[in-house]
Amino acid sequence: MWHDFSVRQKAGGHDQDEEGMRLPGTRYQEHGWEQVRKLLGQCSLHALARTDLALLADPEALAGMPGEYVDGVAEALRATGRSARAGADGNSYGDSVCELALALVYELQARPADWNAFCAAVAAEYRRLGAFWLAAGGEAILRKKVNDMYAVLRDKVDADNYTAACGRGCSPNKIYAYRMLDTAYGEIARIFGAWRENAAQIGAILGQPLDAVPIEVRQMRSIGACKAEWILRWSETLERFGGAPGPLHTRSKRFASLKNSPEKIQAMLAEIGDYEELSANRDQDWLLDAGEAADWLDDYQRVLNESAEAASDGPDQLQDAADDDSGPAEPPPDAASEEAEDPAAIEIAAGLSLPPRFMQLARGAQDNGSWTVRTLASDSLPVRLAVYLKMMGAADDSYPGEWLDPATGELPTMQQLAVLDQVSLPTLRKRRDAAIAALLAAARP
Amino acid sequence: MKTLPETDRKLRAKLLLARRVEGDRLMLADAVLSAALDGSRALSANERAALDQSPLTLRRFRQLSIQRRAAASREAWNGSRGMLRAASTSAELEELATDDRCWALHFVAQDGAWRIILSLAAEAPFAARLMREQPLLRVIDGGGAIVLQGRLDADGECEAAWPFETAPAPHFQQFGAAFAVEPVDL
Repeated sequence: MWHDFSVRQKAGGHDQDEEGMRLPGTRYQEHGWEQVRKLLGQCSLHALARTDLALLADPEALAGMPGEYVDGVAEALRATGRSARAGADGNSYGDSVCELALALVYELQARPADWNAFCAAVAAEYRRLGAFWLAAGGEAILRKKVNDMYAVLRDKVDADNYTAACGRGCSPNKIYAYRMLDTAYGEIARIFGAWRENAAQIGAILGQPLDAVPIEVRQMRSIGACKAEWILRWSETLERFGGAPGPLHTRSKRFASLKNSPEKIQAMLAEIGDYEELSANRDQDWLLDAGEAADWLDDYQRVLNESAEAASDGPDQLQDAADDDSGPAEPPPDAASEEAEDPAAIEIAAGLSLPPRFMQLARGAQDNGSWTVRTLASDSLPVRLAVYLKMMGAADDSYPGEWLDPATGELPTMQQLAVLDQVSLPTLRKRRDAAIAALLAAARP
Repeated sequence: MKTLPETDRKLRAKLLLARRVEGDRLMLADAVLSAALDGSRALSANERAALDQSPLTLRRFRQLSIQRRAAASREAWNGSRGMLRAASTSAELEELATDDRCWALHFVAQDGAWRIILSLAAEAPFAARLMREQPLLRVIDGGGAIVLQGRLDADGECEAAWPFETAPAPHFQQFGAAFAVEPVDL
């Protein structure tokens, strides 16, 4: 299947030896992608079936609701987080399948165009077939649409990851082309590996009749040693040997310009090879961005300050580094006024099997001078915790113990927080997203 | 309370990095971002606005910042320690190495006296900086006494007469079987 080169098999040909392609910064091109895709499909069906049946019946209305879908999938992902599939390594950075899936779902929320494309696809199918998701085989159709959405999204995300990692621009289409070449190399290596059986095809790839084991076949140890003309001839003759047209020779215009640029193909092969070698030898360099440290924020702030100072005629007092928090002008509400614990709150917390004084203790553990608390002064504590839950996950080293549910050692769930706040889940979600938008506005200097 | 500013910082970093702009691209070249990072050229007002409005460019900025900090911490050096190994307890001590393998001490017997040579490994991450800056260095034994003090020559070595009555092996054994190479703060 030449439109489905998701992961390259290792040249040895053992199925379990899938390795996939590594490029600077990319996260979704390695062996774990298949599992990430399956997990996202499974959790999407779960989320869509549970919360959005009514919305699916009106697919245009779906377009306004990515938040509900994203939360539903994220919740389902966390619930499966302890399964073997979800916990397995999804790439050589050590990201688990579940972490990769979660990150991709959150990317979706930040990229409305991809969600809208999915909604449009559902709507088109609905116009054709009616409520197809209720019919036999409808689940498979829905799953396919979900798969399509994430297939596009992963290459967009990795194109950006690549750009951020190495400072060279990259398009999703180029990531796709890298993967096609990597898969093609894997195929050629497999063919070369059984040269007796494949003599005729190898002759076609090398462009000369085959007498003995050619030296090229022996010497190709890595993708960097693969020649662009072999890829071209392999693709050109694939139909003759394999039955389907090669990826560079289908009717699709996708690789039309690449087909005529062997030097471009050669450079891309070399880049994959170089990076494979580099990342195999120098672990620390490609693990560099694993550091969670937010120290770069200091550099960002410094650079902005220096720029502001240089751009003005004199030092601008308003841009003083010490005054970098653009929080709300009015003071936060007096913490003491919230101090007295309401008996109703105790009852609610107990009903959630949280410590009875959870709200009071959790509130006491916030730093009222903190940037977040000041910016979200008018929001309730559960809304603030919901913001952390969404942005930083249920567990983080920096959370004070008073914020955590002793039963799980993690922040309370969205359901628990909604009960604590005495609002419905959609309302809490709406307030949380508004709070995130407010923080984002404040975070940008 | 101490953890909260850290939570704040992490949240702020996540918020800035989670933004996406359709059709985003690198708005500033690495050279421009690097010059801003090392302070050699401040961003213009428009460049500053571009950095703010392009999350992808900000992510590139973050990567360069992390790389710069990693390089700086690799180059930083505050001293290296080493131990006298079991194998090196024989009377004829010829060579000791620090645990990080960045320094070696060589001992040469000469006319009934000893000479000690400190040498810097070329592959030490901070080698280039030390060769450039030529700081005053010293070797101390486990008791804190100065064994050698001086600056590296062009070969990355520093040589001196052995300053004690006792030969190197028994001397180090007597003082904790340990030694350290340190920069001398003047």
